[in-house]
Amino acid sequence: MTTMTAFERLSDEEKHNHFMQRIEAGEKIEAEDWMPEEYRMTLIKLISMHGISEIMGALPEKEWVPKAPTLRRKLGIMAKVQDEMGHGQLLLRVAEDLMKPYGKNREDIMQDLFSGRLKFHNVFHMPAPTWGDAGLIGWLVDGAAIITQTNMLKASYGPYARALQRICAEEVFHAQHGEAIIMALAEGTDEQKALIQDSLNRWWDSLLMFFGPAAADTTGSSKQDTTIKYKIRTKTNEQLRQDFFTKYIPRVLSLGLELPDPTMRYDEEQGLWIYKQPDWNEFKEIVRNNGPKSKERLRLRQLSYENNAWVREALSPSNEAI
Amino acid sequence: MEDKGREFYQEFEVFSKRTFKSPFQHQFSLLAPNHELAVVMAQENFMRREPVVDIWVVKRSDIRMFNQEEREALQRLDNKEYRNTKGYGYLKKKWRDKEQGMLDEKEILSWGGDDK
Repeated sequence: MTTMTAFERLSDEEKHNHFMQRIEAGEKIEAEDWMPEEYRMTLIKLISMHGISEIMGALPEKEWVPKAPTLRRKLGIMAKVQDEMGHGQLLLRVAEDLMKPYGKNREDIMQDLFSGRLKFHNVFHMPAPTWGDAGLIGWLVDGAAIITQTNMLKASYGPYARALQRICAEEVFHAQHGEAIIMALAEGTDEQKALIQDSLNRWWDSLLMFFGPAAADTTGSSKQDTTIKYKIRTKTNEQLRQDFFTKYIPRVLSLGLELPDPTMRYDEEQGLWIYKQPDWNEFKEIVRNNGPKSKERLRLRQLSYENNAWVREALSPSNEAI
Repeated sequence: MEDKGREFYQEFEVFSKRTFKSPFQHQFSLLAPNHELAVVMAQENFMRREPVVDIWVVKRSDIRMFNQEEREALQRLDNKEYRNTKGYGYLKKKWRDKEQGMLDEKEILSWGGDDK
């Protein structure tokens, strides 16, 4: 069927209006649908970063498999690492379908990661030196991830919403896996309690940074206004950070932990948590691959990609004819 | 060499059945170089926890998909009461007057026996 359809005859402005009407009506946009360039580019950036972060996040976590204290803990971490890789696969598929009109695929995503064009999440540039960190990542980093991901469960882009539905269901297991490690340490010896306090202190700034700056002027760029306009997400970075505080600060305190920010308090009148801002210049450096572990983890990923190049070549469909 | 590396990434759509009774359900898509590895990846990516009794992988290029206009043309008019039980709901009251129960969908499908 090569005849030009009625939809293709619409002007770009009419297509745009039709698109916005569909979004306003709560319809889902699919990969092959017409969409504004800005929508496509915003989604590609957001979802490829999300997808590659899942994979980069599995790297520091897998280091804990041999070091985890019991077989049950090792199995739990292995299951989680496997989930993160699976989430990465799902999300990269969503990004790749959006990139298809530009003739790009997985190979380009990997090359963009290695060249630094494609960023990954700030938390995965940080070291996780103790078992307390392993638990804290599962509990609070995954907790923060659940807050940002559930905020997009109703995203206007159908494939992303469907991927997030699967991902969030598994994140519930991740959160409880982290809680189980933290709970055991919190109810343990003084040394074990000190371990999680130490991890909380180490991860505090990263957790605040997790949600991104409150406004674009902090770091020079932010896509949050565009993502809200197109109903990809509903809440701002700051609203998400506040939600995180409301859900997790009481739990942190209930375990006898101290907040690393002594000035932090809940202002009843404003209905807001008042807290000390992290160093947003440091955040910019971290996401530019200048964090403490950025280079090492990128190198690990690159080496494994290069070492396995022969598999991709050997199994390439064009070899079958030979 | 590089082109061969790129060709490794073929698109497959994955379908699976959760139980013997359930219909096939679309799961998601994945990239694999051939059907055999697509099946392996399907299990790794989508069936880590959920029970599964059957899996299909289909090359996406073999699927004739609807375009946007075709999909939008699928929206049905809401005037098909004569085709649905909804259009015959008044019978319930009539049967009740005659002290009889309504043989509705729930009742009729229960005649196949209990699942357990």
